[in-house]
Amino acid sequence: MSIKVSKQPTIALLGQPNSGKSTLFNGLTGARQHVGNWPGKTVEKKEGYFERNGRRYRVTDLPGTYSLSANSEEEIITRDYIASGEADLVCILADSSQLSRSLFMLADYAGIQCPVVLLLNLIDIAEKQGKKIDASKLEAKLGIPVIPFVAADRSQYQIFYDGIDRALAEKKMINIDSLTEKHRLTAKDIYDQLLALIPQKGIGNLSASWLIGKLIEKDENVLGKVKTVLSQDENQKLSRILSGIENGALHTAGCKFQWIDELLNDVLVQKDKKPVLSKFDKIATHKRWGKPLAIGIILFGLIASFIPAAPIMFFGSLIPMLGGPIAKALTAIGAPDILIAVINQVVLNTLYFAIAMIGFVFGVNLIFGFLEEVGYMARVSYVFNGTMSKLGLQGKSVMPLVVSFGCTIGGAAGTRVIDSWNQRVLTIALAWVIPCAATWAIVPVISSLFFGAKAPLVIIAIFIVAGFHLFVTAKIFGSKLIREEDRSGLIMELPPYHKPRWRALMRSILVRTWDILSRALKVIFIVSLVFWLLTYSASGNLEVTLLYKFGRAIEPVTIIFGLTWQTFLAYLASMVSKEAALGVLGSLYLGNGSLFTATVGSGGQVAAGLDAVLLTSLTPAAALAFIFAVTFNAPCLMAITSTYQETRSLKWTLRILGYYFATSLLLAFSVYHISNLFL
Amino acid sequence: MQNLNEVKVGQKAVITDVKGDSRFLSRVTSIGLSLGCEIDMLYNEKKFPLLLYGRDTVIALNREESQNIFVEVIA
Repeated sequence: MSIKVSKQPTIALLGQPNSGKSTLFNGLTGARQHVGNWPGKTVEKKEGYFERNGRRYRVTDLPGTYSLSANSEEEIITRDYIASGEADLVCILADSSQLSRSLFMLADYAGIQCPVVLLLNLIDIAEKQGKKIDASKLEAKLGIPVIPFVAADRSQYQIFYDGIDRALAEKKMINIDSLTEKHRLTAKDIYDQLLALIPQKGIGNLSASWLIGKLIEKDENVLGKVKTVLSQDENQKLSRILSGIENGALHTAGCKFQWIDELLNDVLVQKDKKPVLSKFDKIATHKRWGKPLAIGIILFGLIASFIPAAPIMFFGSLIPMLGGPIAKALTAIGAPDILIAVINQVVLNTLYFAIAMIGFVFGVNLIFGFLEEVGYMARVSYVFNGTMSKLGLQGKSVMPLVVSFGCTIGGAAGTRVIDSWNQRVLTIALAWVIPCAATWAIVPVISSLFFGAKAPLVIIAIFIVAGFHLFVTAKIFGSKLIREEDRSGLIMELPPYHKPRWRALMRSILVRTWDILSRALKVIFIVSLVFWLLTYSASGNLEVTLLYKFGRAIEPVTIIFGLTWQTFLAYLASMVSKEAALGVLGSLYLGNGSLFTATVGSGGQVAAGLDAVLLTSLTPAAALAFIFAVTFNAPCLMAITSTYQETRSLKWTLRILGYYFATSLLLAFSVYHISNLFL
Repeated sequence: MQNLNEVKVGQKAVITDVKGDSRFLSRVTSIGLSLGCEIDMLYNEKKFPLLLYGRDTVIALNREESQNIFVEVIA
């Protein structure tokens, strides 16, 4: 092991899901954090720092996993990071209210030669449950600092800071004598045979005892590591020994839990209580009532997220009003017209879009972050597991899909509660299928214009197509994103309900909101500027704009899909804002107004006289093709931005965008040609 | 010895065996369901995942998975 005398110690946070790792990470670093990906992996990497007494501490938040086996990308990353020796100190978090289960991570870590402290988080909840934990006795048994505290309460961090300074100075490791003895007793000769074979000092900071445990578990990754340091002869011996082991992981886990029970026998005092489901959980997890309750709560959450969002969105909507005064002021000082136009239209609208977007994202994050924090989302995951697994998703994914009926921006933002990146991307890809509220500002208008009393049939058809679309899209994206071995059945913990920790929740959401705002401003500004240039005409005449010329030129192609050049341009504009479809049709068919204003500014109103023109210019089949093209197109620029924000991958955002562009045109094509046979 | 999903609500049982590849074993044990672990059955409805209580934790488990976990009912 290399001993670094670093002025900037690196601390790694390790713990099972729900142990409060992210809460501590946010509490320590605040806004001084950076979220990226682990090199070459799709797993999120969170790093940050905090400063105390002039010293800077770097903090790495490791992925939340239940153990240090090598069954998932997250676990391998966690293990490789610890083995790399990059961390000066590992903080293992355990949930004090479920201590014996939660200490499994510590038991799985024991034997790695990197200094460690044990954080007993949620000590307040354990105390409320009548549990008494003797931390100093546990500290004496383990030989490492043990710190009882509450990660959500920053006023208790002094004890944490003192603990890590002590650990960094003393560099103590976990006392594993008793654990090793248990492994030796259980594995009998095999343990000593392996010990004789592998390097006595272990490999790097992985001790011989730790390596033997993993070899018995048939851990391929560790086996590979060990093989490289052994001779051919020794490797043959190794294979012979290992082939005699059955159910190794079961037996080593047995040893680890025996060790934990031994640690806790005079450390943890608790009353025996007959466990039962609470009244609320009886409904929340009920075979019949669990799902309707979950949908009800999600819909209620969707509405509730507008309460914090509305003031922010209202503030955003005031921004375009600044256009007049700004234009006046700029004209007065003799600024060129084109600059005034850019500021007036592009800059102000970018601000408006970005603020409206973060308002809604903030609301969704707050409400659904709250539901996650109190423990309810795990119940949603449980009752919807069977249904969602048909799409290759975990149960929680139902929430972003339901939210997307309101707004796809919120759907994409809501995927934050899903911990796996791959599942998150697949959920977003599926959320785009769901027709959002803005769809209903367009579809009923056009379908009742063309189909009168039969208009509801169009809406039914949209829902049927959406159903098929979901399954096909799940197959296409699922095959790329979700590996077969990850489609494993449900094994999860339902955490106990907590009171919400508002401060900690707000802290993590505010950090995220600023991050989103800065990205959203960039993306929306660039796209708006490009769109503005395409629709720019100095004279106000539509026919000189690039978009108009492009539309006219490409009409021979678009007509194959049942789209006239006007409906095709309206379809393109609907990628920026769905409501724009009608406004742009108005400008194009009636030849008035600016295309840009029609796209970003219209609230789905029908321009006077548009219906008559539409009826004479479009066949019913072409109207239907347009309806399907717009409905299943990319939802809007802000949803695309939100997708980019949550996936953190330009590649996947563009893949999803390209897929929806192609499939919506394909649907328009099919609808147009099939309905031409009947209409 | 019987199958975990045959345990009735309100019964207490001890895990006596788990079958499966090392990946499955490690998933099941790392959430606390190891040999000798006492569990209480909380919810057991046909075609719906089980809910059980072990090591101070409510654990949800698919029926298919639970077929590979064997127990002895003790109360």
